[in-house]
Amino acid sequence: MNEPILQVNDLHYYYNDNQAALNGISVSIYPGERIAVIGSNGAGKSTFFLNINGVLSPEHGEIFYHGTKITKKSLPELRKNIGIVFQDADNQIIASSVKAEISFGPMNLKLPREEVSRRVNMAMEYMNITEYGDRPPHYLSGGEKKRVAIADIIAMEPDVIIFDEPTAALDPLNAVMLEEVLEKLSAEQKTLLISTHDVDFAYRWAERVLVFCDGQIIADGTPLSVFQNDEVVKKASLTRPVMLDVYEELVRNGLLADAGVYPRDMREFRELIGK
Amino acid sequence: MSHEHTARSHTGRHHHHKGGHRHDTGGSSIDFYACHSRIRHWNPGFRVGFSIILLLFCILANHPAVSCVIILTAAWITVGMGGLSFRRYFSVLTIPITFILLGSAAVAVDFSRQPIGDFHLYLFWGYLYLTYESLLNTLFLILKVFGAVSAMFIMTLSTPSHELFSVLRKARCPSLIVELMHMIYRYIFILMEVQRNMRISAESRLGFGDFKTSCYSFGQIASNLFIIALKKANAYYDAMEARCYDGTFAFLEEEHQANPKHLIAAGIYLTALMSFWLVIR
Repeated sequence: MNEPILQVNDLHYYYNDNQAALNGISVSIYPGERIAVIGSNGAGKSTFFLNINGVLSPEHGEIFYHGTKITKKSLPELRKNIGIVFQDADNQIIASSVKAEISFGPMNLKLPREEVSRRVNMAMEYMNITEYGDRPPHYLSGGEKKRVAIADIIAMEPDVIIFDEPTAALDPLNAVMLEEVLEKLSAEQKTLLISTHDVDFAYRWAERVLVFCDGQIIADGTPLSVFQNDEVVKKASLTRPVMLDVYEELVRNGLLADAGVYPRDMREFRELIGK
Repeated sequence: MSHEHTARSHTGRHHHHKGGHRHDTGGSSIDFYACHSRIRHWNPGFRVGFSIILLLFCILANHPAVSCVIILTAAWITVGMGGLSFRRYFSVLTIPITFILLGSAAVAVDFSRQPIGDFHLYLFWGYLYLTYESLLNTLFLILKVFGAVSAMFIMTLSTPSHELFSVLRKARCPSLIVELMHMIYRYIFILMEVQRNMRISAESRLGFGDFKTSCYSFGQIASNLFIIALKKANAYYDAMEARCYDGTFAFLEEEHQANPKHLIAAGIYLTALMSFWLVIR
C-alpha cells in the first residue's frame, strides 16, 4: 500500500548555465496524498512541476512513476497520468469552444470517439460547466475559464493532479468552489499537489507541506510541524497561518487550555471553544 | 478618449469593427451572433455550401432582380429562421454597406477634359462627371455586391469559427492551414486583451496626451506585445505538451446529420432562381 506513486531522486535543472532552478530535489509522493507546495516566487515550484510531468528534462536526476524509471520513451505515459492545471487559464485554453477544448486531451490519448465524448461530458458535469459547452472561451469570466482549465485535466483522468497557484485570481465564491472540487478529487483517491502562497489554505487543507527555497526542499512534514518551525518560516519568508497564531496566543495567555488539538479552520475552532 | 469609445460601443454602432472583436458588453460581435443563431443545428456543410453557391450565383447572374431576390432570401434566413433581430442584422451589415457605397462612388464617377455627362463638377484640371447610365450601372453593382455579402452572412452569422474550421478540414483543406486558423483565432483574442490592458495602463498614465507621446506609447506597446506573444507561445506549448500534444490538432466535433428536407428545399429554391434568371435575362 505504501509504495510511492512518484519518486524523485536528486533532480537538477538549470535555466541558464549558472542559474540552478532545481538544486538536488528528492521526494517521495504517495498515492492519495494532499500536498501543499509552498515557497516564495522563484523558489522553483513551477519548474519542479514541469520537470515531474516531463515537459522539461532535468540535467541530472531520476524520476520513477509507480516504480518504473521514466525515460524519453515513457514520457507520454508520465504525462497521461500527471496533469497540471496552470496558473493562468489563458495560457492553457487553445480551442474556440469549451467542448473542443476539453476534448483536446482525450483526443491526444487516441481514444475512440465515444470514449472521448463520455469523458468530455463527465468532466463538464464534474465542474458544472455543461451549459457553456458550445461557447467560445473568450466570453467566459475568470472563474469559468479556471473551471474549463480544470475540466481539461479531469477529462484525461490522471492519477496525480498538480495545481499551480489555483486560487491566485479567484474571487471568494470561486475559491470555495475550487475547494469543493479538491474534496471531490481527494475522495476519488487522486494524489493532489497544490502550489500556493495562501498559508491559511495550506494549513487547513494539506496533509503534507513541502517548502521550497532556492531550488531545494527545506522542509517536508505536516503543516503543523512546518509552520511551528520558526527557522523554516524565516528562511522561506513565510507567514504563519492565522489560526495557528491565534490558538497559540490564546493558550499563552491562559484563555484556552492546551489540549494539543490545533484547530485548522473556523469550524474546528468553534467546536474547540464550544466544549 | 476611451470614454467616447465605450459610449459609442454601447449605442450598438460599429465604426471600426474588426471581425470578431469583443466589447465588454459582450453582445455585439458576429461571433456572438453566430453562437446564438437558431439554425445552428443544421448541418454545417450544408450552411456553408448553400451560402457559397448563392454567393457565386449572385455574382455570375449579374442581374439586379436576382440580386434583390437573394438579398431578401438571405435576410429571411438569417433574421426569420436564424432568430437574429433585424436591428442587429442591419447594424452588422452597415460595415460592408459603407465599403460598398464608398467603393461604388469611385466606379460611378469618371474624369474628362470636356464637360460631358449628365452631371459634372469642375475640378482644377478637368471635370468629374456622371451619366445616368453610369449611375444605373453603379446601382446594379451595389445590389450585386450587397447580395453576395448577404449570402455570405448566412454562413458567418450562423456558423461559429470552430465549426467553419471543421468544415474546411472535411473539405480537404490542408491540415496545417486549418490548425493555424484554430490557433490564430484563439490567439487574436488573447493578444487583443493584452494590448487593451497595456493601452489602458498607458492612458491612465497620460501616455496618449499629445501626438508625440502617443506615437511613443504606441511603439512601446507594439514591441512589448511582440515579446509577450513569444513568451505566451512558450507557455502554450508547455501546456499543450503537458496534455500529450504530439503534433496534430484533434478536437471532438459535433455531428449534425444533413436534413434531406433542407437539401430538397435548397434544391428547389436554386432551380427556381436559375429559371427566373434565364427568363428575365
